[in-house]
Amino acid sequence: MKTTTNPTTRAGRRYLAEFGISMTAYVAVCLFWMFHGASGHWKIAIALLAMVPAVLVFAAIVRWILHTDEMFRRITVESLALSGGATALIALTYGLLEGAGFPRPSAWWTYSVFMIGWIVASSFLRRRYK
Amino acid sequence: MKNQIKVLRAGYDWSQAELADRIGVARQTIIALEAGKYAPSLPLAFKLSKLFNKPVEEIFIPESTD
Repeated sequence: MKTTTNPTTRAGRRYLAEFGISMTAYVAVCLFWMFHGASGHWKIAIALLAMVPAVLVFAAIVRWILHTDEMFRRITVESLALSGGATALIALTYGLLEGAGFPRPSAWWTYSVFMIGWIVASSFLRRRYK
Repeated sequence: MKNQIKVLRAGYDWSQAELADRIGVARQTIIALEAGKYAPSLPLAFKLSKLFNKPVEEIFIPESTD
């Protein structure tokens, strides 16, 4: 890999490496769970084991925000804020609808809405600065 | 905000990537700065000022003086 003194380039490369390793570990734990299964307390332990690489992904994102340049930090933070706000509004709306008899969805929906919102907001904001 | 970054960069015969490396930002940030789509923070503006040896107000020109 070509060396660089640019802190933003270094932060980007480090983020990609950390993200790649953490996601590989996450997929490995999920595959283990799918093919070997678990029962009783082991089921909870393996479910929580998948959180270790997930926390490492989160740490990689935080490090990227702290070490990237100011424009990308702004885009990332703004897109996280927009996605968080949209997710809160959607969750509040659906929470009220649950009171009107709508079925209770899985917690995975909140995570998915937030991540999709982050990707959409991020690509929209990046285009604004092009 | 308008600025003279593109003109000053051309004066030194630097590519956008070279300028990005000199001030420690991404090339996309230089593109956004030159297009006037991103207003830099004071520390970045002073970094550019020092690099080009020009006062900040000669590099950055506000759209309106209101």
